[in-house]
Amino acid sequence: MDYSKQIQDIAAKLFTDGKIDVFVGYRMNGFDDNQVPAVITDPKEVSTLVFTEKSVFNLSNYLKADHTRNKRVGLVVKGCDSRSLNLLLTESQVKRDKLYIIGIACEGVVDDKGQKVQNCMECIIPDAVVYDEILGTPKGKKDYIVNADIKALAEKGLVERREYFEEIFENCIRCNACRNSCPLCYCTKCCIDQETATIYNGSNTSSSAFHALMTWSLHLAGRCVDCRNCEKACPSHLPLHLLHKQNEKVIFGNFQNHLAGVEEGDRGAFYKYSLKDPDDFIM
Amino acid sequence: MSFSTFVTDKAGLQKLYEAIISKYETYAPVEKFGKYDYKKVSSLKECDPDSPIAMTMSVKPLFFPRSSKIMKYEANSAGTSIRETDQDPLAGQRVILGVKHCDARGLQVLEAVNKWDYIDSDFLKRRANTVILSNRCDKADTHCFCTSLDYDVENLDAPDVAIVNGTNGKIYVQARTEKGETFLKENSSEPMANRITNDELQMTNCEEDLTKQYEAFLSSFRLKMDYKDVNERMAKRFDSPAFEEASRNCVSCNTCAFICPTCHCFKISDEKIKDTGVRYKSYDSCNNVYFTLEAGGHNPRPAKYRRWRQRSMHKFVYYKERFGVNLCVGCGHCAISCPVNISIFEVVNHVASAPIES
Repeated sequence: MDYSKQIQDIAAKLFTDGKIDVFVGYRMNGFDDNQVPAVITDPKEVSTLVFTEKSVFNLSNYLKADHTRNKRVGLVVKGCDSRSLNLLLTESQVKRDKLYIIGIACEGVVDDKGQKVQNCMECIIPDAVVYDEILGTPKGKKDYIVNADIKALAEKGLVERREYFEEIFENCIRCNACRNSCPLCYCTKCCIDQETATIYNGSNTSSSAFHALMTWSLHLAGRCVDCRNCEKACPSHLPLHLLHKQNEKVIFGNFQNHLAGVEEGDRGAFYKYSLKDPDDFIM
Repeated sequence: MSFSTFVTDKAGLQKLYEAIISKYETYAPVEKFGKYDYKKVSSLKECDPDSPIAMTMSVKPLFFPRSSKIMKYEANSAGTSIRETDQDPLAGQRVILGVKHCDARGLQVLEAVNKWDYIDSDFLKRRANTVILSNRCDKADTHCFCTSLDYDVENLDAPDVAIVNGTNGKIYVQARTEKGETFLKENSSEPMANRITNDELQMTNCEEDLTKQYEAFLSSFRLKMDYKDVNERMAKRFDSPAFEEASRNCVSCNTCAFICPTCHCFKISDEKIKDTGVRYKSYDSCNNVYFTLEAGGHNPRPAKYRRWRQRSMHKFVYYKERFGVNLCVGCGHCAISCPVNISIFEVVNHVASAPIES
């Protein structure tokens, strides 16, 4: 999976035609074979753009940054990234006519050690769902599968499960990097930053981490696209995907097989209410 | 005053660690989710004092906790009264194993600000009651640049005891401060039975061995810079557009400040239920949008690059001007933890090498 040349050509053409002000892609980090996001405003820098299986970070996160707000943006999106972009479009955070989207029919990305990451092995929607142009051969959707970690967790007893999650909350340092690196967390004032709300207090006790992470994950229930920007940002290496995947499983089972951001204009799980929905769960 | 050096081997060092753990309140890196954080340990099996630098959190929270109670109060219509908080759990006599040299230097740097203006007695007390055992690295990590900064890594006196790997499995345990000297004298004789006296040290080529280790360590660095040049150039480039270029990638996630061994900005928050409340002091980050947000709604640093300018200028200009030391120890933790691999090294070098606009 190497689309560097194609992306460079497309970006160069977009700049020449005056269709975009900013291009968001990936470039090499300059010292090893890993990549970092590149926010390019100068057409001369187009030649630094790359795209391989090392292009991990979800770039739709940059649509909430100063450099891209109210500008015409060219953007590279993989399958999961395009789903989060789709949600941003639906939730009126970005305007479609200001974007030029290069979709990728993704074959999965690898981590620093060169191993395919877990969410890519379980990926059910590898192709970009929203794009102006798609690179690679689309492979189509697969059937929904429950995450292996969630299955393992479900087999554990209630006490064991609680202990495991308490460990996660104890190791949380409340830096809020998970929230900040999430493309779908765009609120200008987030509830977990409220210093007057006792439960989210800046004190990083495990109770404050519990409330902050639970609130955050519930706000992303039915919206999380499993890009794992949060896990990449977490300095304590916490398995944050467990919270989201559990929510995803519950939402899929109870809200008419809802998957976040797959269809354009889909307003989310909570708008899909139907009297026939099973209501035998409490989150 | 010269301090003593002991020669031992891996088994001797293990015995020393075990003896320390059984005798003192000991903190050491404990692995959880693939990341090491300093926690109280009761046996050597739980921890790994040789934890890799890239996977280890800073030791700073043991001196400046991520969140601490600063006071309790009662406030009602009759008035306000302040009560003392509980006893500080970090103030007792304790030993920390496996601290990295850069991390220990971070504490030394922080001492300057904690002794200035407002004297933070909690921090100073915690520091005074702690003995730090530090391992010198054998090899630099991808983002390390400690040897390029304004401190002597080879003879660093920030840790009380330094542990250096020599050739042929020899390990040198060196006292670096008076506290460390006393500590070693009290504790090392029994566990390190193969201790070699000073006369014999000559025969073991200690000096030569240590220099050799340091040179090998020095040659493993990818990043090198001239900090004096950077300090001078940064001071002239407050208005440089280079800050904007360097910070474009940043997603403002705040991780860098939270895991930095020298960042010391904090916020104050109250946890109040009915009439009684607790006031907390918790970490904050200058990369946070709300960091400088005023009550009236005005924000003097509304843009990302301005926050980055504050971060890098504070580390390499303001702190240097005020206290004579850089507020960066070159540990590379920020770059390792950054989801988009921004390194303070790259940012300051980019700014320092940018042309000055006329």
